[in-house]
Amino acid sequence: MIEVLGLVKRFGHVEVLSGISLSVEAGEVAAVIGPSGGGKSTFLRCINGLEAFDEGEVRVSGFTLGPRAHDARTLQAVRESVGFVFQQFNLFPHRTALGNCIEAPVHVLGEPRDVAAARAREMLCRVGLAGREDAYPKDLSGGQQQRVAIARALLMRPKAILFDEPTSALDPVMAAEVLGVMTDLAKQGQTMIVVTHSMHFARSVANAVHVFAGGRVVESGPPERVFSDPQHETTRAFLREAGVKGA
Amino acid sequence: MRLLALALLATTAFAGDTWDRAVEKGVLRWGADEEGGGPFVFRDDEDRLQGFEVDLADAIGRYLGIRMEFVQGQWDRLPDMLRADKVDLVLNGYEWTPDRVLAMEATAPYYVYALQLLARKGTLRSWDDLRSGGPRKVGCLAGSAAHEVMLRLAEEGAPLEVVGYDGNTDAMKHVETGNLDATLQDTPIASFYAPHFPGLGPVGDPVAPGYYVMYAREGDHRLVNRLNEALIVLFRNGELERIYGRYGIWTPEQEQLATILETGRFYGFQKAALSEAAARTDATAGEVRAGERRRGWAVVTTYGMQLVRAAGVTVLLSLVSFPLAVATGLLIALGRIYGPRWLRPPLAFYVEFLRGTPLMLQLYFVFFFLPELGVNIPAFGCAILGLAINYSAYESEIYRAGIQAVPKGQMEAALSLGMSRLTALRRIVVPQAARIVVPPVVNDFIALFKDTSVCSVVTIIELTKRFSVLSQSTQATVELMLMTGALYLLMSYPLSIVSRRLERGLEAA
Repeated sequence: MIEVLGLVKRFGHVEVLSGISLSVEAGEVAAVIGPSGGGKSTFLRCINGLEAFDEGEVRVSGFTLGPRAHDARTLQAVRESVGFVFQQFNLFPHRTALGNCIEAPVHVLGEPRDVAAARAREMLCRVGLAGREDAYPKDLSGGQQQRVAIARALLMRPKAILFDEPTSALDPVMAAEVLGVMTDLAKQGQTMIVVTHSMHFARSVANAVHVFAGGRVVESGPPERVFSDPQHETTRAFLREAGVKGA
Repeated sequence: MRLLALALLATTAFAGDTWDRAVEKGVLRWGADEEGGGPFVFRDDEDRLQGFEVDLADAIGRYLGIRMEFVQGQWDRLPDMLRADKVDLVLNGYEWTPDRVLAMEATAPYYVYALQLLARKGTLRSWDDLRSGGPRKVGCLAGSAAHEVMLRLAEEGAPLEVVGYDGNTDAMKHVETGNLDATLQDTPIASFYAPHFPGLGPVGDPVAPGYYVMYAREGDHRLVNRLNEALIVLFRNGELERIYGRYGIWTPEQEQLATILETGRFYGFQKAALSEAAARTDATAGEVRAGERRRGWAVVTTYGMQLVRAAGVTVLLSLVSFPLAVATGLLIALGRIYGPRWLRPPLAFYVEFLRGTPLMLQLYFVFFFLPELGVNIPAFGCAILGLAINYSAYESEIYRAGIQAVPKGQMEAALSLGMSRLTALRRIVVPQAARIVVPPVVNDFIALFKDTSVCSVVTIIELTKRFSVLSQSTQATVELMLMTGALYLLMSYPLSIVSRRLERGLEAA
């Protein structure tokens, strides 16, 4: 589904990703954890072409992105098949919740407005926002905004969704709402890569956990093994700091 | 390359003799500035062109069998207009000076002027009062021969403060109000406007006589010969005296013209057409006067329509040039933010260059320099082009700031949903930038609206120029100023209202 091979990314002289290789199967939920500055977000942004990279390859459902300049058409194809949910939500402030949801279906997929709107209402209902269709982003709480953002991504029927620390900007109650929605998605078999600080989510929902540190994947494996029997010293130190018992 | 070829082609096309072209087209364009006012060239209360130079031009045209077309130009720019082929000759109280003769061809003189010192009646007895006694303040038309004389007097130790004025009669008005002690004026102006300033009187006799001549482009000898021929005939048959008489400026000194013209002291030719009938018509002295000096409502009713028509020119200039500036500015902003890397430095230079140099200079460039390369755009086109280019730089900076004020995450979110860059700009970024830029853009439009007044340097008579022309010839400055200000306000205030509506509309969207 998503395959990353030897990904290297430099900002000037600083190498933030030093040869990442990782693959995610269809229906799999991959959690990416690790200390801040380990390159987790940059990695995610390289997958859908928001960042250009210097070496390696990203393969997404039949399309391949190479180093540096990407062909605009390939980029667009990749982005249509992979959704992205941002830490800061990035809803369009000049559109209502419903407007945010139908923007891409209408202007990218070419769906008739009423068809897109019907799907959007249903999707907003699924993420627990029935009745808030006409609210502008500024009138929604952070948790509600993030759920609109998830609905917006889902309406493009993506093969996979990338989550970039989706709950970091939220208080615990709102974070729980969002994680609830994400857990439901995982149960329905949605392919996801989730960069997260929520150890609970990684442990209980993910099928695979990848630990990033210093631009490398220091450890990968099923969550039970990684959490209860970490092999690498960096993983142990990180889990201790994150307050995970048994590390 | 193509432009250069075009330029060369055009240059050769204009290199032909002006006289030949005039004969072929049946038109000779003469340049003057209405703002110079009476008795030279001015508009009367019915908005008709008047002045002894208008009558002189017509008389010359009748003799030559050619239509004389008046072209408005700023007085001190008339030689530039001559060089840029905007006019064929300058006929507007231009003194014969050695400097000017170096750059242009002069005709024989058509008027002998002198400089008359004027002061409030009873304050000064003679020129000696200026040289001794308390410090005094005198004013003259800046850059004129009179200005030179006063500056030299001050240099020689006279206790004088010399002030330069842009208009002919401003200094006279300031003497009347007491801001100045005296003014030195060309005799035609002093005598023509005497009825407007009953409180002023001449001090001593006129001094430092000189000659008004017409100037043609360098090398246009045939045109100059024909003009001289016309002057000789007009003088001999009394037409010149009749014209000057109409404006009350015929003086005994004009007889000098006879000597100069007849002996051909200037150019040594004058055989042509001397046999023309010399039936002298009697001059009706002072038939055309400065008119009564109006005040109050009479000013509004007499000159109101002239100002309103000029306001129409202002509106037209703004409405045509601003959309061009907006469109160009938007393209430049998008090019600088999203365009290819090689395109950004030239665009940045374009913006910095245009913001860093005055609009007036840019207008001069388009109007006076491009013709030298053979690109001759009519005055109105120059004004539009100058305004649009100048304001496109400001517009592009506003849009750039507006687009950059939209958080980066918006573009990223749009791209992540599979939108193309263009769709993302159109649907997500530009609509958000729009509400940010509406107030500064409207602000800019109001600024451009007022900046159209600079277009008078490329001979356009819009509201401000019309005001300044009228105030020179009528001295009703206060009334005209209030009317002009009211017209500007009447036109710009609705824009502010539209802007507020627009802002609210976008807010709700």
